[in-house]
Amino acid sequence: MITPENKHGNTTMLQVKEVSKTFLYANSQSNVVLNKISIDIKDGEFVTIVGPSGCGKSTLLNIIAGLESQDSGNILVKGESKVSTDPGRLVIFQEGALFPWLTVSENVEFGLKLAGIPKDKQMQAASRFIEMVQLSRFADSYIYQLSGGMKQRVAIARALAMNPDILLMDEPFAALDVQTRDILHNQLLKIHEATRKTILFVTHNINEALALGDRMIVLSPRLGRIKREFAINLPRPRDVESSEIAVIKRQILKELEEDFQFVRKENTAREATQ
Amino acid sequence: MLEKKIQPEKRRSKSRFDVTDAANIALFLAAFVGMWQMVFLLGIWPESSLPSPATVVGAIGNLTTNYSLPIGIGVTLLRLIAGFVISIGIGVGVGLAMVKFRGFGKTMSSFAVGLLTFPSIAWVPFAILLIGFNDFGILFVVVMASVFSVMITTYSSIRNIPPIYLRAASNMGAKGFGLFQHVMIPAATPSLILGIRQAWSFAWHALIGAEILITTLYGLGHVLNVGREFGFMEDVIASMITIFVIGIVFDRVLFAKVEERVRSRWGLDQHSE
Repeated sequence: MITPENKHGNTTMLQVKEVSKTFLYANSQSNVVLNKISIDIKDGEFVTIVGPSGCGKSTLLNIIAGLESQDSGNILVKGESKVSTDPGRLVIFQEGALFPWLTVSENVEFGLKLAGIPKDKQMQAASRFIEMVQLSRFADSYIYQLSGGMKQRVAIARALAMNPDILLMDEPFAALDVQTRDILHNQLLKIHEATRKTILFVTHNINEALALGDRMIVLSPRLGRIKREFAINLPRPRDVESSEIAVIKRQILKELEEDFQFVRKENTAREATQ
Repeated sequence: MLEKKIQPEKRRSKSRFDVTDAANIALFLAAFVGMWQMVFLLGIWPESSLPSPATVVGAIGNLTTNYSLPIGIGVTLLRLIAGFVISIGIGVGVGLAMVKFRGFGKTMSSFAVGLLTFPSIAWVPFAILLIGFNDFGILFVVVMASVFSVMITTYSSIRNIPPIYLRAASNMGAKGFGLFQHVMIPAATPSLILGIRQAWSFAWHALIGAEILITTLYGLGHVLNVGREFGFMEDVIASMITIFVIGIVFDRVLFAKVEERVRSRWGLDQHSE
């Protein structure tokens, strides 16, 4: 297919090398979720991973973050092998990861405080990134006072404040309504444009992946492998209804069709045995 | 845009003490005292068994001017605070150890639940024989009454922290004491406060009981007991009223306020309205 346009650097930021993971169940059954997955991501690249629920995409993300361990394979950041979690690879969770006992700005300062950065620097960084996600008015609000979309913007600001090498986003907008999600997509693209952070974004929503990424990796739950990769070399913001997108989307859906059927069959079988 | 309307902290003020509340309380008190006065006037019991409200007010005055009540309140509160502080120290310490060592936690929690339902008064004979008729005997009963509640609360509050907080925090580099101090303690606070409030009421029950049974020279339980021994019902009722008021002041004013503040800040009251 089309090669991605080369606006990001040529240095490799993240390498996933032959990572495998098998889940064992109590009834001595096992499920190979990831089977020797390898991915290379360049500095500044925005990569999405799509696949139906249960295809192991969140597991892969957690392994990359160091929050879960793989059975075999390696995670390398800038060529360095990583085993445990660290602030260089920050996860933005689907929801509920902000601390309700802290205000918006205290949440954003949290990681900096842990890192022992002086208070005035913490506040500077916090206000800069809170402004970037357009929440300056709410800097002193508590989390329960925010809407779902605002919470995810705080989570993004909190991650950016720590200046990570990679942002790992685990279906961060899945719990939001469509309009809010569109607004957040645009904000995220602007933030990516401004900061040139490397982003790995996991979603089951093909439209979302088409709107955001430079590159899209389709995972198959049946094989535990990468089914196919698509480069989406279109200017952003993109119109997901456009004909170019429709062409790519049709190919992706075709790839995914048998997997969706597989997942459905699997689920019915599981329900039947229960 | 996306901003949902934010109501300022004003909505909190309605739970504060206001005029309607005060009027309701005054009305309730008036009705209670009125009924008491009526029963008194019916003359069912002799005056020595059921004195009038006025006599009891006089007794409170007397007990205050001869310092029995002020000293009693002071000594009782000192014992309460000392016992409660010891309970929290031991309870939180053991509770944390229970979280840290899983096998110990499992065993200890069933053991502690058993002791939680154990009537605190039943510790008194044990305390008298082991320690004697003194302050330490009383403290022992108070601690035994409340420490298991603190222990269980610490253990369960920490174990019930939503794992996402711990994952997010460790992802941002929190570990060891930092994770404990900045994440586990605040995340566990709402349920810790509930448990500590319960432990406080256990300690309070046990303390008055122990003061009545372990006769030392001072304390509200002692004043109550002396009233009984000399047959001064007005003194008995006067100490009961004092005990009641102390209970209300601590629970409503201290614990309820702290709990309310924590619940509102954590956003835990949002679904109830």
